[in-house]
Amino acid sequence: MVVRKYEDELQYLEKINSHCWRIKKGFQPNMNVEGVFYVNSTLEKLMLEELRNACRPGMAGGFLPGVKQIANVAALPGIVGRSVGLPDIHSGYGFAIGNMAAFDMDNPDSVVSPGGVGFDINCGVRLLRTNLFEKDVQPVKEQLAQSLFDHIPVGVGSKGIIPMNAKDLEEALEMGMDWSLREGYVWAEDKEHCEEYGRMLNADPSKVSMRAKKRGLPQLGTLGAGNHYAEIQVVDEIYDKWAASKMGIEEKGQVCVMIHSGSRGFGHQVATDALVQMEKAMKRDTIVTNDRQLACARIHSTEGQDYLKAMAAAANFAWVNRSSMTFLTRQAFAKQFNTSPDDLDMHVIYDVSHNIAKEEEHIVDGKPKRLLVHRKGSTRAFPPHHPLIPVDYQLTGQPVLIGGTMGTCSYVLTGTEKGMLETFGSTCHGAGRALSRAKSRRNIEYTDVLKKLESIGISIRVASPKLVMEEAPESYKNVTDVVDTCHAAGISKKAIKLRPIAVIKG
Amino acid sequence: MCSKLHAWGDSLKEAFEQCGMAMFGYMTELDSVEIEDVHEIEATGDDLEGLLYHFLDELLFLFSCEPNIICKKVEIVTFDVDGAEMKIKCKCYGEEFLIGKHPQGTEVKAITYSAMQIIDDADKHEVYVIIDI
Repeated sequence: MVVRKYEDELQYLEKINSHCWRIKKGFQPNMNVEGVFYVNSTLEKLMLEELRNACRPGMAGGFLPGVKQIANVAALPGIVGRSVGLPDIHSGYGFAIGNMAAFDMDNPDSVVSPGGVGFDINCGVRLLRTNLFEKDVQPVKEQLAQSLFDHIPVGVGSKGIIPMNAKDLEEALEMGMDWSLREGYVWAEDKEHCEEYGRMLNADPSKVSMRAKKRGLPQLGTLGAGNHYAEIQVVDEIYDKWAASKMGIEEKGQVCVMIHSGSRGFGHQVATDALVQMEKAMKRDTIVTNDRQLACARIHSTEGQDYLKAMAAAANFAWVNRSSMTFLTRQAFAKQFNTSPDDLDMHVIYDVSHNIAKEEEHIVDGKPKRLLVHRKGSTRAFPPHHPLIPVDYQLTGQPVLIGGTMGTCSYVLTGTEKGMLETFGSTCHGAGRALSRAKSRRNIEYTDVLKKLESIGISIRVASPKLVMEEAPESYKNVTDVVDTCHAAGISKKAIKLRPIAVIKG
Repeated sequence: MCSKLHAWGDSLKEAFEQCGMAMFGYMTELDSVEIEDVHEIEATGDDLEGLLYHFLDELLFLFSCEPNIICKKVEIVTFDVDGAEMKIKCKCYGEEFLIGKHPQGTEVKAITYSAMQIIDDADKHEVYVIIDI
């Protein structure tokens, strides 16, 4: 890291408007393009404070501040456009979380970096609707929450309950949601409302290590722990009535279920394995980066291609995972209300991925180019009329599902043309961790956190109650700030706000 | 989200053992774990950082996959750090992780090299490791 005084560092940062800052070349060495980050005044303070803290003498180790990470990514070979920081940006491994970076696939120097995808490959969000209203669910809320908690395996050491053997896993890795469909766990129309239709075609299970498969097999169909959750939510506000109605959301009070989960230990192992391979390849191919954690490989090298194929398999794992939990959720609701999931209209509104790398076509300097877009803690947000979004959403734009932190609200947004141009069709993913100063302020007991949630009418089921403090809203940025910033910047548009009434966590 | 493990001992070998215990201590309350079984794991590395990383990774693997062992105690029986290829052989004492018997703690997703520090002085043997949780 270039260690200048804070005041000198600021010379490289320029506020473009009330929700956007520019990072000039030179902020970090070898920047090929500029950086940009989207923040409002509250989030801006957090970003700059993080930088100021890092400039103090004696600070070393751990992660770099977000602005520095954006700049280091801008120094990677083959990057085009700008290295983009979304409003929920916070420090991560190599790339910050909430960082989008796209690379020209026709440039032989361009790289692919597992740090730009994240360890939890295809961590994402799925939203189901129902035709139930809050008044229907309130009387049975506790039973329903318990039922979901009993159906969906959660927490450390939990194992999937959907029967699977090694051969099933191989097929699931290759086929993604097509496997779930074949096995009868999903409805055919679920695939339509999923990015990539729930299956990345370039997945190759043979590029995945035995170790990853061994870690993955028992975890298929489990929710996980940490910031993953399943929530029963109620529509709290509708900002865009027309877009909402296309998603089957007509009125406030309508009940939905949101599932936030990824590829579990499988994805982590794939990422870890790739980083080890790429560190060796970097020496061979003389790839130089500003940060050891930005381990990468030329896109068209063996290591690069192997990673993309394994990453696709991990993405498929996550879609099968969310699909299995969709199945279990539908079962739980159907049992509770003594009817069928069909009759409850429990359709998938959409399923988004916020840790993934995709080959996409975008306009760069007026010309169409094939890019490898890394979105780490960033969600794709394609505009109306884009060929890759479902027929149902051709006029509205792609739904973007933004999960809030425990006990806070979630949002559904839609993609915009402006976003397509400015951020290659990318937007935020959630709330994002705030600085660790928040941790020192946190003198609350876990019992207080649970009581507070109950007092605002949220039923909570947690596998490890003592750890809810780590997920308390105080540790995170405000998701409303994040979403409002994206809306103000025009890179995505608010459609619906949802509020949780039950939370299931690991 | 990440967490930093800090372990120390009268020797580097003990610091490594304590680090492994710290990791298991995150996943559950170690008081609830009985010693029913012993399993042996092996790890290698080109340097001390690589060795520590692979050692913890093997322990994580022992937990994540069959036989899903949560360890109450780990005992390094071979700690070979001289030479180009370093090696650890370790006996792990514990039992199969059972939801209901063992409280569910934090899930450890991965070991990282971030800010990893291994201090092996005459009077100080400490390790710092960041794990992804």
